[in-house]
Formats: sequence, structure tokens, C-alpha cells
Amino acid sequence: MSAQGAGATGVPADVRVEVLEFLHHEAELLDDGRLDEWLELLTEDVSYAMPVRLTRERGQEPAVSAEMQFFQDDLATLRLRVRRLRTDFAWAEDPPSRTRHFVANARVAPGPTPDEVDVRCNVLVYRNRGASAASDLISGERRDRLRRVGGAWKLARRVFVPDQATLGVDNLAIFV
Amino acid sequence: MHSIDAVPTDRAAALLDRVRPEQGEVPAFLFSDPEIYRLEMERIFARCWLFVAHESEVPAPGDYVTRSMGEDAVIVARGEDGAIRVMLNVCRHRGMRICRADLGNSSHFRCPYHGFTYKNTGELIGVPFEKELYAGALIKDRMGLLQARVATHAGLVFATFDEGAGTLADYLGPMAWYLDLLAGRAEMEVVGPPHRHELRANWKLPAENFASDAYHTMHTHASIAEIGLTPSATWAKDGYHVAAGNGHGVMIGAPTRRFIFAEALRPVFRRRLAPEQYALLERLAHMPGTVFPNLSFLISAVTLKDRFVSHTELLQWQPKGPDRIDVHSWLLMEKEAPPEVRELSRQAFIVTFGPSGMLAQDDAENFTGITQNSRGPVARRLALNYEMGLGTAAPAAGVGPGQVLEGKYNEANARGFYRRWLELMRGRA
Repeated sequence: MSAQGAGATGVPADVRVEVLEFLHHEAELLDDGRLDEWLELLTEDVSYAMPVRLTRERGQEPAVSAEMQFFQDDLATLRLRVRRLRTDFAWAEDPPSRTRHFVANARVAPGPTPDEVDVRCNVLVYRNRGASAASDLISGERRDRLRRVGGAWKLARRVFVPDQATLGVDNLAIFV
Repeated sequence: MHSIDAVPTDRAAALLDRVRPEQGEVPAFLFSDPEIYRLEMERIFARCWLFVAHESEVPAPGDYVTRSMGEDAVIVARGEDGAIRVMLNVCRHRGMRICRADLGNSSHFRCPYHGFTYKNTGELIGVPFEKELYAGALIKDRMGLLQARVATHAGLVFATFDEGAGTLADYLGPMAWYLDLLAGRAEMEVVGPPHRHELRANWKLPAENFASDAYHTMHTHASIAEIGLTPSATWAKDGYHVAAGNGHGVMIGAPTRRFIFAEALRPVFRRRLAPEQYALLERLAHMPGTVFPNLSFLISAVTLKDRFVSHTELLQWQPKGPDRIDVHSWLLMEKEAPPEVRELSRQAFIVTFGPSGMLAQDDAENFTGITQNSRGPVARRLALNYEMGLGTAAPAAGVGPGQVLEGKYNEANARGFYRRWLELMRGRA
């Protein structure tokens, strides 16, 4: 361990703890439906993407589309989505679904600037709605960039790479 | 020899007798009954011309995508000769699926089971130890992949396995004119692969919705007006309701407050379209529709981030059982679209349609809820009401071909959809 407590990743241990706390806090806000507070975790220039996954023969790339995404959002469109959910006509989430974001295997690496870190983690979103026992599972990898703004970590970039080529959901009226 | 086709049982015939589009009655069991579904696979999906791909998905020789025609898996491949072929994705030896990727480029397909190898034209070119094991009785010549008939209109590739079907032009009828506005107004291309997700609903519900249901936009999509994407909840009321023949339906939103496409593309549209088509395109506010049975489309325009932007999409409702759809949705773009228009248009597509789309989300809620209800032993007998506009709608002139009615709110196209459905299901088509 170096003087700052940086391990093999080159990221100090206290920063890694802060990143984990950020991810857990974010999951709590999403699962509690505290979406206005969630928006506060995003930088002004946030990009939020979920590319289409493809089934390709081994060796034929790419298996993640560079051209089409399930989400291709910025702060303006994410705010629009949250505003819509607050109207009286957002039928897809009224009654709301119950979600549980499981965030695991976080790996923190130095970002392009001293105030940024790049984080990869595995995410499993469980979603249940109504009286049915059947549930949606959305599994994937997040490739996040967090930035320290005014002493607090914020999400500057998210690419959520889903593990399904055909998403097993009626809709994506939630956030991943 | 007896046919192995599914034949309606007495029960199925009795079920069909309860479908009365002319009286505006469509019973709920249509959206969940397994026997109805089995018959649909044979009598509708194995007979109609079905959309399989856009030409731009297989631009180069060797390019292929895999798709479904009903529940039959097919390969759509462009050969070295430039021709697009649609072949059953089934090895002629033992029936194994020979191509198991979504897309790619290959000169041939090799079956994993015994190594039978087919050219991308469907020709069987390799059988391991053929001479030794088949005693010289060469089987290659008669064992090519089963080929569908293929035809295109405005870059949209359609196929059918029915040798008795008429031409695609006959099948599309007046709808071809509207498909020109959709996909022939410029040289179009798909932007990347389609969105795919599994919707727990019957395939007919979204198909009839895009063909006929402008009425739902006012309430189902009221949130869209509230957040400013559209000027009011009744934005989709004015225009025309067009029965476009053979169960096809299209709705014309008109007039528009302003041109919904990129200004720079006007000369392209004028060059490629007939004057009457261009005149309608200038007035167009939006245009949803369905090519019977399961290809829907939409030209939509919204205000996003203070900019007015349109996008064009295709949606296909691939049935996977009475209560499952493998939804595919593609963004179509003019090849010559300016880069900034292209980016905003793509974002508008993703934010409004596709599984995360703020309109598609609420549509899915309706389609799944109806499908669930249609299983109940009491609910399934209900004759659902499709009588809006019966005998009261006024014809409009000077718009385009087909039966054009004034005003978009109507259910005439849904009645037309089920009228065609019933003809095919009874085998009188």
C-alpha cells in the first residue's frame, strides 16, 4: 500500500469506499422512487446510454451495437422522463413497480482527470409489479464515470450493457 | 392424401362466428385462445406477404440477418449476385437451426449437427462423406434450403412461403402509395440493429392500434402533452383515417404547423415522389399505420429540447405464442439527413418509442392488460366494442388512394383489419 492507501488499481482506498457508498446510495434512491434526488446525483453534462446487445458468431464483432441504444439520454431527457412519471398519466408505472438494484463486483480505476474515476460493476435489477409473482430481471454491466463536483461524487457517464439481446421486459419505464 | 394443415375444428368455427367486424364486435378470446393462435400461424402467417428486413440491413454480398416469419425461422441473405434471398433456417437433413446469430457476413452456413454446408444462396454444397454414405445417390441437388418468394417495395423486403399468393404489389394495394411516403421519399437506411424486447401481449393488439387507433393518444399519451413534447393531448385528432386495402390501415395526421422533415431534404422528396405524394408530405404532421398482418410503422414529430424533430420507424410484432410478442423496432433515416438532424431524430425515437420510449411504455401497459383479461372464462366471451364511425364517417377527397375518411378518430381500420383476418381464418382468401 502506498502512503495514500492506493492499491494495485491506482485508486486510493478511501476513494474506493466513497465510490461504493455512491453506488449503494444511488441504488437506494432508485429503489425508493426518490427520482428527484437521483437527478441531483448527475452532472450537468451526464450521458446515459444502454446499447443494443447482439448475438454474433464468435469472432464477428461488435456484439454491442455502436449505433442503436435503448437509452441515449442526457440531463434534459432524463428530467423529462422523471417529470412524465410524476404526471397522472404515466400508466406504465402507476401503480409503480417494485425494483431492487443489486450492484456488485465494483472495480474502480483512475479516470481521465484527477477528479474522475471509471467504475465497472455488475448490476441485476429485479422488478415486480401488480399481484403477479412473475418478475423482470435485467442483468448487465455498468461502465460508469464518476466526477467529484464541489466535494461530492456525481455520475458523469453511464453505459449499461445488457446481457439480453431481446430484453425480457414489457417496457423500460425504470432506470438501470 | 390428407393435408397436415391445421383445419378449424367445430369449436374454432364457432369461435370465428362470434367475430363480427361489420357490427363492431370483436370478442376478447381472440387475444389469448391457443386454437385461434395455431390457426393464425397456418392461415395468416404462412400465407401472407410478411416483412422480413430493410434492404440496408444487408447492404453487401454475404450480409445476412436472421428473422422470423410467424414462428418459422428464416435467414435473409444477400448473395454474391446481389439478390436478397429468404430461406428457412432449417437444415434439410435433420431440421437443425443452421444459423444461430442475429446478423453477420458469410459465404455459407454450416449445420452444427452433421456438417451439411449451404451457400448463402441456399444451395447445399457440402455433405460429409456424401459419396461413401449415400451410395452415389447424390442428395445435394434436391436438398437446398427451402426458399421463400421475395419481393421489395421502397426498400422494404417482404417474403412468403405461399406459392399461391398473388404478387406483393397486389397484396399491398393502395398501401404501397403510403409506404412510398414512409420509406421511399428518399434513399433510406436503418440506423443500427432493431430494438428487441418481449412484450407479454397478443400480436394483434399493437397491430390494430397502429392501423386504427388515434383515439387512444388523447388519454393513454396525455403525459406527453403535459411535458411539452406535443402541443396538446388532442394532437393526433385532425387528419384522415385510410383503409388501404387487404386489412392494411394508415392514419394521416394533417395539417402540420410546420414541415416536419429536414428542410435540406425537400428537393430529394420532390424528386422521388409523385406530385400528389409530395403535396401530402408537406401537410403531414405524423403517420402511423399497419401493413397486415404484423408490420407497423410511424412517422412522428415532437418538440424535444426546444427543437421540432421527426423520426420514422418500423415496428414488427413477431408472435411467440398467443400472449407473447418479440417486438422489433427499427429507426429509418434518410441517407442524406444532416448529421445534427440525424442525432436529434435518433434521440427522439429512443425517448418516445422502443422499450424505454415514453409513449411505447404506456401502450405496452394497455396491450398486456387486455391480454391478461382475455384469459378469464367470463371476460373472454365479451364482445369488445369496435363501432366508432360505423355508418357515420364522412369520406374525404384529394388525399390519396384507398377509402379515405375525414378525421383520425375512427375504428374503421380495425374493422377492416379483422374483416381481412376473418376471411383468411375461414380460408376463403
